[in-house]
Amino acid sequence: MTSPHRTPDWLLERIALGELPADELAAARARLTQEPEGEARLAALEAENRSLLEKLPPSVVAREVERRARRSEVRSYEASPWHRWRPALALVPVLAVLLLVVARPGTRPGELEGESAEETRTKGLPPQLGLYRLAAQGPEALAQGAQASEGDVVQVSYVAAGARFGVVFSVDGRGTVTLHAPEGGLDAMPLEPSGTHALPQAYALDDAPSFERFFFVTSDDPFSLEEVLASARVLATSDGARTALLPLAERFRQVSFTLEKSSP
Amino acid sequence: MAIDVEAYYRRYGPQVLRRCRFLLRDEEKAVDAMHDVFVQLLRHREDLTHSAPSSLLHQIATRECLNRLRGARRRPEDPQDELVLRIASSEDAGARTEARGLLDRLFGRVPTSSRDIAVLHLVDGMTLEETAREVGLSVSGVRKRLRTLSTVLKELEAA
Repeated sequence: MTSPHRTPDWLLERIALGELPADELAAARARLTQEPEGEARLAALEAENRSLLEKLPPSVVAREVERRARRSEVRSYEASPWHRWRPALALVPVLAVLLLVVARPGTRPGELEGESAEETRTKGLPPQLGLYRLAAQGPEALAQGAQASEGDVVQVSYVAAGARFGVVFSVDGRGTVTLHAPEGGLDAMPLEPSGTHALPQAYALDDAPSFERFFFVTSDDPFSLEEVLASARVLATSDGARTALLPLAERFRQVSFTLEKSSP
Repeated sequence: MAIDVEAYYRRYGPQVLRRCRFLLRDEEKAVDAMHDVFVQLLRHREDLTHSAPSSLLHQIATRECLNRLRGARRRPEDPQDELVLRIASSEDAGARTEARGLLDRLFGRVPTSSRDIAVLHLVDGMTLEETAREVGLSVSGVRKRLRTLSTVLKELEAA
């Protein structure tokens, strides 16, 4: 274990880079000057930086990184089991939506019983979530409340129905919130306003018990992920995690889709 | 957002390489892993709003090396190395998705790998508070994740 009296390596790196809040940086530097070898360690690290950059020149490394990135993009796209099914996948929920609109206003995929009132849009169609499980024969469309198991690989798709920004995440029976799209960053992703769009990554269900509930929250205006995910984290650890709506401002629309899981 | 890989490497490459060396104990493997850390950075360029990439790269490098060490059959060189190897080979209930980068774990939005947390706390010597801030979880969240590696922790306590 690292001695509490010695500035740990990770902190020394941050001192060298100056990437700490100002007060912490000052404290860390002061702490370093108190150490017998502190200043020498920092000087050695900075000297090593120069030597490494000579040995592995930035232009050479950058070319290799870009080459690997291109190769990896091609490989991951071609290796994805969803790759060959994607065109077909995009048709399924659209057809389902058309049938729902034409035939009967029953429970839609991703809609809870009694949720339709708060989901009405001027276009007459709420945003939709579609879930598909990867089976040997291809994608298997899942219905609200379908049974799922640990290890199932699930592909999520959305229909924005005119909404412009959104986020897809799930909460599980362990109280965990998992962000699915966007894959990172601070803000909601811009949505394709029409059509069905599969998320870039399929998702392998883990061993969380009881359920995995996917949410699609949309707005016509940009929003920060934290606005929605803060509520999600509270909901995820509450008794209402399986069925309650997220307490969100009026400008948001939400739809959810629950997969039931048998407890291990 | 376009990122200048060359500029990022110039500033952070040595830090990343040292991290990979420390965890992998092999120069050739460390250099290879370092390249892949920057590939991940490039792949998630849209998410680079982070004000202090050094913290992020430290985590990406840790994850990359732990993944490479998982199942590695090599002799530990010292007790710290042994701990890294044990953490790397332990079951990680926090790893929930396939091929997802670390960036989507920022700010505690999604579970951070318990193995990453274990390395930050047990090997890097970060306090629980520092670890929590690093990965964007609460201190209790970090404790909970560490419990998922109870085997490693029990062995550590028994040592």
